[in-house]
Amino acid sequence: MIRAEGITKIFGPDGQSILPLLEQGMTKDEIQAETGHVVGVRDANFEIEAGEVFCIMGLSGSGKSTLIRCINRLIEPTAGRIFLNDGESGEREITAMDDGELRELRKRDMSMVFQHFALFPHRTVLANTVYGLEIQRRNAEESLQIGRRVLDMVGLGGWEESYPHELSGGMQQRVGLARALATEARVLLMDEPFSALDPLIKVNMQQELVRIQKDLERTILFITHDLDEAMRIGDQIAIMDAGEVVQIGNPEEILINPKTEYVANFVEHADPTGVLTAGTIALRFDEDQFKRVDDSGDLIYYVRRSDPEGARFGVDRDQRLRAVVPAGHRESVELVGLDDIAERAADETSDGGRRDDLALRCDEQAVLRTVLKGRSCSTVPTVVTDADGRLLGIIDEPELIRGILDKKGHGEQADSNGAGVEPASGGESKP
Amino acid sequence: MSELLEFLRQLFTDPFGLLDIPVREWVTDAVNWIVRTFRDFFRSYVSPPVRGVMELFQWALSSVPPLVFLALAYVIAWRAASWRVAAFTVIAFTFIGFMGVWDQMIITLSLIATAVFFCILIGLPIGILCSRSDWFYTVVRPVLDIMQTTPPFVYLIPAVMLFSIGNVPGLIATIIFAMPPMIRLTNLGIRQVETQYIEAAVAFGSTPREILWKVQVPLALPTIMAGINQTIMLSLSMVVIAAIIGAGGLGLEVYAGLERLNIGQAFVGGIAIVLLAMVLDRVTQGLGEKGPASRAKRSE
Ligand SMILES: Nc1ncnc2c1ncn2[C@@H]1O[C@H](COP(=O)(O)OP(=O)(O)OP(=O)(O)O)[C@@H](O)[C@H]1O
Ligand SMILES: [Mg+2]
Repeated sequence: MIRAEGITKIFGPDGQSILPLLEQGMTKDEIQAETGHVVGVRDANFEIEAGEVFCIMGLSGSGKSTLIRCINRLIEPTAGRIFLNDGESGEREITAMDDGELRELRKRDMSMVFQHFALFPHRTVLANTVYGLEIQRRNAEESLQIGRRVLDMVGLGGWEESYPHELSGGMQQRVGLARALATEARVLLMDEPFSALDPLIKVNMQQELVRIQKDLERTILFITHDLDEAMRIGDQIAIMDAGEVVQIGNPEEILINPKTEYVANFVEHADPTGVLTAGTIALRFDEDQFKRVDDSGDLIYYVRRSDPEGARFGVDRDQRLRAVVPAGHRESVELVGLDDIAERAADETSDGGRRDDLALRCDEQAVLRTVLKGRSCSTVPTVVTDADGRLLGIIDEPELIRGILDKKGHGEQADSNGAGVEPASGGESKP
Repeated sequence: MSELLEFLRQLFTDPFGLLDIPVREWVTDAVNWIVRTFRDFFRSYVSPPVRGVMELFQWALSSVPPLVFLALAYVIAWRAASWRVAAFTVIAFTFIGFMGVWDQMIITLSLIATAVFFCILIGLPIGILCSRSDWFYTVVRPVLDIMQTTPPFVYLIPAVMLFSIGNVPGLIATIIFAMPPMIRLTNLGIRQVETQYIEAAVAFGSTPREILWKVQVPLALPTIMAGINQTIMLSLSMVVIAAIIGAGGLGLEVYAGLERLNIGQAFVGGIAIVLLAMVLDRVTQGLGEKGPASRAKRSE
């Protein structure tokens, strides 16, 4: 949908003249000290798919606002190219548009939420909300209807005729949000749109935004200071430092594999339970970790090497999981999907006890939080299987603890131990 | 040798006697030329609309019975400012009436209304142009300085030569004198609109014209109203001077009183002018402070 190539913005009288210095690798501070120019954004490259939420994070002054303003050219980039591909009119280069084309783009294809709201003080809340529609020359009656609907959506029904200064900061911010949503543009540029909201409304708004984005296929660029927010709604996260995009990746990648110290510091306090997936934290089912104990029958039984007296896992010749025999049991116990356990927990184990005669099964995509929830009603290791029921790995207490505390899975650990064995993946691993 | 000595002596004692720049003659010639060339044009194309508007105002204001006028004044002042201002307005007008200069006040009011009408009509677009083009503003600025600082007496005579005596030349002089703040404050108001609002308008694809009328002018309105307020005040200050070349109303009352050494008559006119000035000032100020834009500003 949006592709950026080498966007650079240098503030100052002659930005162009600074470009060679950037190539020589001078830092932002050096350039500022020597030439008085400020590097806002430095060689940013990324690609955003249609329907994605692209989060931009970074410390104050790291160039987030500058970058997002380059996308609709409220700020003219010093160098670099930006392309928009909305699937209909093919790929268009935003950085090559003339004034008229640019206006059309801003009117129909992109709308913006401002960090400092920038509501028109002389217009009522409703008149602010329909501003974009007014510029689109939409029928007034229809505009007002859309405006009212969007205001309801952001929880400001009943405030239509108030003026912005009569509203609290958080309410003003939601008017800014409504103004951007009303134009039905497919790309939303949002500069810290939830920063002034209380936690409760914030979560509501996040859910609303994700819903809008799903239903209406909006592509969203989203600046935030709140890492958990970025992790919750972002498909990709870009982390900026002194004008530079230092890492781009999905939330889990950023969390488990920060590229620099700066990123690591950033994610240190993130809540991993909503991000890490079972596939990442599970102890992989391979020869290094599991020992074959019994293959006399139809099934082949394995135990964990570090816990030979523990539960045994029986798989058939296709590596499909058939049986889980917890320690102290002779027979396989019942296997229940994580999704089903919630309902069952409600009526069967309502005494809150953890059962040792029930094993849980989940797929790779399940997040840590749901695994933890399931574990509250069973003491047996949770098994991770793929769509065909093949055993991929197991999650027991050590894996859960490591996931929460170190935000790490077993994959990297195997590497750092120097075992030299590629972590097993999919159905190819044949212990 | 003695010629050289004589020259040096004069250079020392009277250097400015050496050369005479005949500005006097130039101006006289220029004015004569302008008057000769443009008198017909001015008398047939400028006078009629000015006189027309003036007569319209005068007709409208004088056809309202005084009691209705007072009631209307009360409502307008109350809506624009507050009930205090409204009460003051009614008391001031009533007092003017009891001093016996009601009709003169109506004439002065219509003179001022006419002058302000033309100041806005011409000043607002020029002010807007100034705000959009630095180049244009650099050209306009010295002209405004000249208009504001040249003593009005200087252009009274050319005005008379062009328009003969009566209300029209007085009005023209008033318009020239009172227009600069309108232009300056319109320009200032628009330039002062915070960039964040302009940016927001730009981000939604507004054209320059839409930005002007939907964002800049409404947000500049309090400042523009301050310009109108100053224009009114300056017009009032020209009332007596305009009377010298034949304008009527309260100014004539003062001028005639002074000429005949009738201090009482002059004072009555003067008091009425001051009261009128206070009323107009409070009401227009209230108007400027009432809009949503200025309400927002105050609560910041
Ligand atoms: N108009 C400007 N002129 C000069 N320098 C600017 C301008 N706008 C931004 N900068 C500089 O560019 C850098 C990046 O600013 P930017 O506003 O993009 O930061 P940010 O990441 O959005 O910060 P915050 O989280 O505080 O909003 C800063 O060093 C700032 O000083
Ligand atoms: Mg910012």
